[in-house]
Amino acid sequence: MLEIDDLSVTYRKGSDALKGVNLKLHKGKAVVVGPNGSGKTTLLRAALGLAPISRGRVRVFGIDVQSIRTDTRLATNVLEVYRLARLRVKDMISLYAELKGADPAQSLKMIDDFELGGTLSKWIYELSSGQQKLLGNILALSFEPRLCLLDEPFDQVDQSRRLRLAQLLRDFPGEVLLNTHEFGLLDRLGESALYFMIEGRLFGSFELSQLTRLYISRGEVAGALVTLDTSYGKFSVTLDRGEAAITTSTSLERLLEAVA
Amino acid sequence: MAVISYYTRSLLTNKSLWGWGVLFMGFWLVLGAYIFVQTGEIATAPAALAYTADWYGIIALFSLSSLSTSIAYSIYYASPALAYCFRYTKLRPITYLLNLLGSSSFLGVFLSLIMLGGTYALYSTRFGFNLRPSDIPAAVIFSALSGAFMLALSSFLVLVVNNYLGLRNVSFISFVPLLLSYVFGFGQLFTSLPTVLLYSSPMTAMIDLLYHFYSGYAPTVVLTNPSSATLDWRLMAASLTAWTLLLLLASGFLLGRIRPRSIEEARQA
Repeated sequence: MLEIDDLSVTYRKGSDALKGVNLKLHKGKAVVVGPNGSGKTTLLRAALGLAPISRGRVRVFGIDVQSIRTDTRLATNVLEVYRLARLRVKDMISLYAELKGADPAQSLKMIDDFELGGTLSKWIYELSSGQQKLLGNILALSFEPRLCLLDEPFDQVDQSRRLRLAQLLRDFPGEVLLNTHEFGLLDRLGESALYFMIEGRLFGSFELSQLTRLYISRGEVAGALVTLDTSYGKFSVTLDRGEAAITTSTSLERLLEAVA
Repeated sequence: MAVISYYTRSLLTNKSLWGWGVLFMGFWLVLGAYIFVQTGEIATAPAALAYTADWYGIIALFSLSSLSTSIAYSIYYASPALAYCFRYTKLRPITYLLNLLGSSSFLGVFLSLIMLGGTYALYSTRFGFNLRPSDIPAAVIFSALSGAFMLALSSFLVLVVNNYLGLRNVSFISFVPLLLSYVFGFGQLFTSLPTVLLYSSPMTAMIDLLYHFYSGYAPTVVLTNPSSATLDWRLMAASLTAWTLLLLLASGFLLGRIRPRSIEEARQA
């Protein structure tokens, strides 16, 4: 469904946003956790065909992302891809429902469920960051895609709606690649593969259900599940023992700062 | 496909298009009627009709070039959306282009009719003759073709820049149709440009066709000099059609290879 092989993305000469990333998602969900600026969004953008791939390949439903055309089975919450014209929220939903060959009723129902009815007549730039993020999530999830790419879906979203969204993602029947910089709510997503992304490199996978059993330690530790080789040192991820339990921190960023 | 209706509405609610494409052109029309000509200088109805048609042709062209600028900006701000939509929605480059074409042609007619009505009312009042356009349906048809040409030119230019040159050039490129309109518009109004240039330039073709169908007279090499050599409007129409088709084909090719640029990059370039 989604196969990423030895993927490197270079935005400018000498600056790789992604370095040799490998990931396969054939069934279920995959969650990529990493600090801000680690390359998580670039990974999603590469799968969407929006990032300059300098090496490797991305295949979506078995087709190279550079040559895939008119395949409506993938959707995303990256709002940038919904700015085909200057549109109000209601028009954006109608237009993209038509372009996806879907019924806008499901999107409108989700708009109601997330108490966003008041945004329908607004321009996108009139929405708050949280409302924009929720609108992106709704557009991603409501057209019955088989593969959903979600960039920081909980970011800027208030607590009660985060919980509703987590439930929605847990029940989502298709495949999901989700990235986030925080550990909160991950335990509510159900069975998923977990990856860490640091400085453009992807580490994993782990079972998300093992999240509470994962620890991180400075340096290389014997028997580690994986060693995170970063520019500020090496860290080992271990099971059931180590310097700091991963779930003791709200984000990987803070966790690495704590043990560094 | 619904894109055409959303896109047309988007353009119709574009304040910049109304400001530069309608209000500012109204200002030019007033200048043409009251400042550039002295009272009594034009004493006959045919002379007044020819003068009025000159201004209609030029102002309609300027107005359409404002449309072109709006189209250029909307395409380059939509590059990530287009790259995504061609991959993951039912939208195809040719469908998108045809929708834009329909929308631009509609806007071309819309703007041209506003200019036509404004020119007729203003200049008839100014000169005291009923300066009714001679062939409104033909003027409408060639306004639509002119709108299509402006779409083809602006999309071609912006896609070349977007795909190959970087966004730093987009602001300048988006104004190229406007600059060309002013250069060729005033060029043919007051100077004797080479005939081959007049026939091969789509800008002069648009002015001359709109002039011809407003006045009913053959366009002349120097529009303000009726005694200069006349031009064949059929060749002008063929030239404009050929340019439009050529640029549309090139735009369709470039659209299929659109390079997504981030909106932030576009804003900061």
